[in-house]
Amino acid sequence: MKSSPKLRPNLWDALVVLAVAALAAGSALAVWRSGGAEAGPGTVVVTIDGREADRFPLEELLEAPRTYSGGGCTLELAYGLQGMEDPPLDHAPSAGEAGVRVAWADCPTQDCVRTGLITWSGQSIVCLPARIIVRLEGGTVEDGGVDAVVG
Amino acid sequence: MRLTTRQLTLCAVLTALALALSYLENLFPLALAIPIPGVKLGLANIVTVFALYALGPGQALMILTARCLLGAMFAGNVNALLFSLLGGLAAMLTMIGLVRLRQFSVYGVSVGGAAAHSCGQMTAAVITLGSAAPLYYLPILLAVSLATGALTGLAAACLFQALGHTNLRNLIKE
Amino acid sequence: MRRFFSSALALSLVLSLTACFGPPVDPDTVQESIQVIAMDTPMVISTYGRRSTGAAYASEDLIRDLEARLSRTEEDSAVSRLNRGETVEPDEDLNTLLRLAACFRERTGGAFNIGIAPLVSAWGFTTDHNQVPDRSEIDRLLKVVDETAPQISPEGVSLEPGQSIDLGGIAKGYAADKLADLFREYEIPRAMAQLGGNVLAWGDRPDGSPWRVGVQDPARPGEQNAFAGILNLKNAFAVTSGGYQRYFEQDGKRYHHIIDPATGYPAESGLTSVTVVADCVSDDGMGTLCDAFSTALFIMGEEKALDFWREWQGVSPSLFDLVLITGDGRVVVTQGLAESFTLDEGSGYTLEIVS
Repeated sequence: MKSSPKLRPNLWDALVVLAVAALAAGSALAVWRSGGAEAGPGTVVVTIDGREADRFPLEELLEAPRTYSGGGCTLELAYGLQGMEDPPLDHAPSAGEAGVRVAWADCPTQDCVRTGLITWSGQSIVCLPARIIVRLEGGTVEDGGVDAVVG
Repeated sequence: MRLTTRQLTLCAVLTALALALSYLENLFPLALAIPIPGVKLGLANIVTVFALYALGPGQALMILTARCLLGAMFAGNVNALLFSLLGGLAAMLTMIGLVRLRQFSVYGVSVGGAAAHSCGQMTAAVITLGSAAPLYYLPILLAVSLATGALTGLAAACLFQALGHTNLRNLIKE
Repeated sequence: MRRFFSSALALSLVLSLTACFGPPVDPDTVQESIQVIAMDTPMVISTYGRRSTGAAYASEDLIRDLEARLSRTEEDSAVSRLNRGETVEPDEDLNTLLRLAACFRERTGGAFNIGIAPLVSAWGFTTDHNQVPDRSEIDRLLKVVDETAPQISPEGVSLEPGQSIDLGGIAKGYAADKLADLFREYEIPRAMAQLGGNVLAWGDRPDGSPWRVGVQDPARPGEQNAFAGILNLKNAFAVTSGGYQRYFEQDGKRYHHIIDPATGYPAESGLTSVTVVADCVSDDGMGTLCDAFSTALFIMGEEKALDFWREWQGVSPSLFDLVLITGDGRVVVTQGLAESFTLDEGSGYTLEIVS
């Protein structure tokens, strides 16, 4: 063999493990600190192909799911566990479920569906084939109570 | 790089094995247990680790590239190519470096490789989506790579142990 | 033990059956919302009611279909072929639009003109290469625009060489009209369709109050929730035209995209935005009318626009109403909207009601 491998873990390996763990902790601090700790998600932001396509208060999903399309794929966002087969369809969301998930998608990977429910602000669901990012942000939408805007 | 027929055949067999392993791991989607895009066992990495030690960096790199290209072709997905290439190359370079240092066991090498693979994939995700949003998952992916890296390390260690008694050495020799 | 399991199984089966008969849902509260980017603008359509999902998807199909046939930038569209000098057999939609366009051009004294396309192109608003054209070029194109009129013969519609048309000024309004028809067909009790600057407020809000439509403050164009005021509307179209939406700057001067067919230059009428509001139930084609008139009245300016409105009041009272925002800080609202328009106190505008 080109070089004979060491087959037993040694202290040097612990060094690698430590380095990776440190990297994980460091990136967690860097990425999650900005918003991860904020209580209560308020706003859902949907980006399609790098452009913000929609921004709405999470509670609006309680009324009805929303559908988005991109890259030839379509996905539907739902509130909490609403609409899941188990729990039943008319499941009333509890406080801990204040979040958004992809109820279904016709993308080939289904990663976005498997991501499941996201509930913290700063969390996001990514659908690569559709190039859609669904992100939760803290706070509420200041919309001045209008339904539409002309101009 | 000039290869003997034996080397070429071995490379081809290993490529096929790596492809089969990546298919196999789709049957046990780790993403079901840890629902995050990009989480997987990385069984194909066993082949990479083995090739790196047994055949050297050059041929290991060839096997990796062939695996990524063929895998993307089978999946019919250009995005997947960028992901597996960036992930695979990052893992490969890290592992080459770790092997060169001669201090680390297969466990350390494959944990390092798995972590680098996660970082490479993350880069691909950030590039294709044009957003830093996927970075949110990086800490989790890194943590998972500790476990999956150790697991593939174990598999590679078993492999080397089993091969210790065969005359693979002669097989590879010209 | 086995008996216990079988009875538990039976019980769970019965329970799962009851799950199918959940609490009754008020059909009017079921909502579906879709977002599409079409006709160069983001569109949001929210439909309510039992058939809301079907209606929302049908809306998207309708808009995509209209875009494919009427867009000037879509190479195979009827309009593109017309602009290339081909003779086109118009379908029903194109026929209606050309007829309406001719009618609006006449009514607005030429302020609304779909033949403005070559001038808009010369200013670079169809591409991203904005420029101030030469005086001679503008004079030449003014003549072309003035003579542009689609010729209708038994073989179809055609244009003279050099002429071209752009239905962008009425296509979204027309789409809103077609959406109203579609909502009627689907028996949609309430819906809110926002097609860029065109709004169709169908029915009322789920709580029974009017839809609240914000009128963007032209002085703060990029800002969200920067309104000159709010329109409370039921069953209405509302369309706004303003020079703040698309413009470029050259040598320190700002040039916006609404070109006056009389001068060949961006309209400088003293108005910063014009909103036209009309009922969407009693008359047909009001969405298209709002779209065309908002552009035309923006070009005409405050005085002429109000005269125009009064003239129509004589013919057909409260067919449409106006919200004019002037460059000198006034919001002029015609009588029919006196009740439904609320000025945003923080915007700094003064409100005038005219009759």
